[in-house]
Amino acid sequence: MSGSTIKVIIGPQHPALKEPERFILETEGEYVVDVKVRIGYIHRGIEKAMENRTYLQGLYLSERVCGICSDAHTTCYVQGVEELLGVEPPPRSRFIRVVVAELERIHSHLLWLGIAAHEIGFDTLFMYVWRDREIVMDLLEIVSGNRVHYATNTIGGVRRDLNDEKIHKILKGLKTLEDRAKEYLKMIQKEQTVLKRTVNVGILSKSDAIKYGAVGPTVRASGVKRDVRADDPYAAYDEIPFNVIVEDGCDCLARIMVRSREVLESIHIIREALKRMPGGEIRVRVKPRIPPAEALSRVEAPRGELLYYIRSNGTDKPERCKIRTPTLANIPSLCKMLVGGYIADVPIVLAGIDPCFACMDRVLVIDREKREAKVWTLDMLRRYGREWYRKR
Amino acid sequence: MSKEEEILEKIKEKFGNKVKDMTIKRSRRIFAETDMKNLKEILRYAKDELGFDHISTITGRDLGEELELIYHIAYQNAIELSIKTKIPKENPRITTIVDLYPSAGIYEREVHDLLGVVFEGNPDLSPLLLPDNWPKGVYPLRKDVTLEEIRELIEKGGEKG
Repeated sequence: MSGSTIKVIIGPQHPALKEPERFILETEGEYVVDVKVRIGYIHRGIEKAMENRTYLQGLYLSERVCGICSDAHTTCYVQGVEELLGVEPPPRSRFIRVVVAELERIHSHLLWLGIAAHEIGFDTLFMYVWRDREIVMDLLEIVSGNRVHYATNTIGGVRRDLNDEKIHKILKGLKTLEDRAKEYLKMIQKEQTVLKRTVNVGILSKSDAIKYGAVGPTVRASGVKRDVRADDPYAAYDEIPFNVIVEDGCDCLARIMVRSREVLESIHIIREALKRMPGGEIRVRVKPRIPPAEALSRVEAPRGELLYYIRSNGTDKPERCKIRTPTLANIPSLCKMLVGGYIADVPIVLAGIDPCFACMDRVLVIDREKREAKVWTLDMLRRYGREWYRKR
Repeated sequence: MSKEEEILEKIKEKFGNKVKDMTIKRSRRIFAETDMKNLKEILRYAKDELGFDHISTITGRDLGEELELIYHIAYQNAIELSIKTKIPKENPRITTIVDLYPSAGIYEREVHDLLGVVFEGNPDLSPLLLPDNWPKGVYPLRKDVTLEEIRELIEKGGEKG
């Protein structure tokens, strides 16, 4: 790097919001020219912990990998363990898994939409979206008893059944959510506050999205039709017709559009699942010990492809349980998006992949010429971005 | 012939007995094994000729005397092809595949952190997950590292001994 570049260090400490990570941005003027990533500040060694616990204990650990997409983790985990066991979960349980997974996707996407609005200084949208998100949180609580860790899945099926009363409440809540989601989708495409900060920002071309291994809404916003639910169907997704949402804008707006349209598609999937759900048992009993085998399980978490590779060794504990979360898969693409963009766009581009380890909180600015270092908070960077755009 | 069988046949035809134990475990899941020296050639063929342009991740596993690496690659009909290779634990080195799959860089960094595998040619093997002051030579996902040892290390703030 030439002497005129400045290092902007973001993270990792986080006194209040979200989660820690560290990005070192090499900047030239207002442009980002290089990015280095350091994560692991909240690495808890769950893979190692799983090897030392029974399969059933591992289920509860997997639920705690993520507080936003906890259901995606347990679904991926139990599917892998069921494959090792050679056990088929009953049909009804597979439909219940779809219902909870899609409710979780709606909550996750709405959470994200609010954060994205906040990052571009559109706090009115943030508050409206998060108000409406409470509807889906209530539905998740009705279905599972919990707002965050739903504890719905178990090895061999699900733990709670749905009755007519619950189904009625879900359908009622979905109607309101649908109206609101349609409203947001319409507004996003017209509102200058959104368009000015997101169109042509954080570009990831179709070929780069594939090259850098992007997954989930990030890859679909770059025009690549990849969705584990459709491509590698699990639970009851092969029995429910639905569309894979793709946008070809390749920018932050496209990422907003994909997730907003996916909220509507998820509502459709839940309705279809409830309509087609067969009766019968919701779980089968399984043995605690599993003979040596291996299984590779994939699900479409709200952020994209989630993968578990599980290997059994004849005991009641796994030999190895490998977890690959979608955010890790999206980091190389994120670096690609940031390079060539403005510093002021860093918050929204970062938010664009919907990082699950979330955000930066402190920003360290190093002026290479003066050898001075300044510490910024995330709020300062966010304000810098908003001010910078206002003056433009 | 199913899509999985087609891929299996093509790889068999191209690489013969360089590929061992190739099995279709279920729909969209193929597992195979190869020697370290053939790995890259097979990955390149799978990527360029068979459409496996996405790497899902690299799993590392401690087998005792050896370490096993599993390269999970996908896409085109969403078939997940897992290619295994073994490297000696004494000298765990293997050539990087970042030139084939740029996104593999971060997965190699992860395996380097947790199992101590050196991916020759990867430009950035700096710590990704473990603390900066984590002692050299302690790879938490290796079987000889116990939970007690890890706990002790964390309590001492990463200082060994």
